[in-house]
Amino acid sequence: MLVNEARQVLSRASSLAARHQLRAISNTTQLEQQAQPKAAQEPQIKKFEIYRWNPDNAGEKPYMQTYEINMRECGPMVLDALIKIKNEMDPTLTFRRSCREGICGSCAMNIGGTNTLACISKIDATSSKPLKVYPLPHMYVVRDLVPDMNNFYEQYKNIQPWLQRKNEAGEKKGKAQYLQSVEDRSKLDGLYECILCACCSTSCPSYWWNAEKYLGPAVLMQAYRWIIDSRDENSVERLSKLKDPFSVYRCHTIMNCTRTCPKGLNPGRAIAEIKKLLSGLASKPAPKLETAALHK
Amino acid sequence: MLSSVLLRGAARGNAATLIKSVRVSPLKAYSTIVANTQRQVGTKPLALAKQISPIVMREISVSAPRMASATGSHTRLWTIERVLSAGLLAVIPAAFIAPSQVMDALLAISVVIHTHWGVEAMVVDYLRPSVVGNVVPKVAHIALILMSVAALGGLFYLIKNDIGLANGIKRFWAIKGKDTNQ
Repeated sequence: MLVNEARQVLSRASSLAARHQLRAISNTTQLEQQAQPKAAQEPQIKKFEIYRWNPDNAGEKPYMQTYEINMRECGPMVLDALIKIKNEMDPTLTFRRSCREGICGSCAMNIGGTNTLACISKIDATSSKPLKVYPLPHMYVVRDLVPDMNNFYEQYKNIQPWLQRKNEAGEKKGKAQYLQSVEDRSKLDGLYECILCACCSTSCPSYWWNAEKYLGPAVLMQAYRWIIDSRDENSVERLSKLKDPFSVYRCHTIMNCTRTCPKGLNPGRAIAEIKKLLSGLASKPAPKLETAALHK
Repeated sequence: MLSSVLLRGAARGNAATLIKSVRVSPLKAYSTIVANTQRQVGTKPLALAKQISPIVMREISVSAPRMASATGSHTRLWTIERVLSAGLLAVIPAAFIAPSQVMDALLAISVVIHTHWGVEAMVVDYLRPSVVGNVVPKVAHIALILMSVAALGGLFYLIKNDIGLANGIKRFWAIKGKDTNQ
């Protein structure tokens, strides 16, 4: 939550400095282009239709605003276009962004009907159709493309995403490592890579309808990540928190989550694994290595 | 067993209806207050009445968030649902290959319960108290139970007093149009 707020603040504060930098960069590239004897390229105009809503304008309904961008002067990704619009055309356009390389999950939004990260989603410059950009679906909108992520982070907090041991007193923190076999570690592959961008959760109709009770694919995959971790000893307690009719079981396995994940992960499978563990059809295997061996 | 399963479902529906969402974190509440104050400062007094209403409707809680419907286990029901779904793969062909009253009864029970759970999921998902109020979900749920019971009763009547379920479907399937009838 705090990270989120900080991101917003940073995004606003740094926009001025970033604008100067970007201008400087674009000026040099223009100079370079002029230096090369090139035939003048005619502009390649791409239309962007972007969801706009400002809570400060009382009574105003959300609307779609169209921006025309010359793709010859714009980077290849949707985030490049958004930054270009904010820098050069409309500084009131609001969105979250940070790493611009698909690892922070800030710029998650609905682009051309698919939840994805603006920074790793390529613009189809050849299509004459306008590209529509909306905030993540069925989230409360703070402003323009910025959704309210409080509920999502609250749910993440609720699954207690940290390592839990029974014998905390006997295993002094920082004294020694916990052991995990390579095989046990490989169970976390495809789970730990999640960046919590919420693309999957906000693509899930069950999450749209019951967001306050159903945890959603992103959070459930992280729940599974801790349940299946060979070093974690609280899997029974973790599972018992999920056995009510809503937390997990609103998942009807329609796999929108897996389809939309910009990191190519499979939350649908993780939820199915949770259901198997809950029903007793599967059980968590014992650790291959004695986890606390080095603490003795 | 049937009635107990149905009642479990009813309890689940009621739980959905009764338990309100109180999952508003203090931070959110704070940010909401700030946002709304900022909003009010910028607006004309005439628009103030409009702006106040969302604040009144918002539930603000300073206590730790309580997960809605935190009680009750759904795991056994889920397992039964899966076993039944898998069982249908065997029951449906068997009922048609070897039609008998017992197989017909098995087919009727499993298909009706399977459908009941499917429609129940739709009721829970789409008739939410936050959207349609507290009464409609309960009425819909009771109506669903009545419909499922009536469907099962009707099918049993067909099995007991008529040619049976599988044979009935076979006969229905064998109806031919006038052109092919010689």
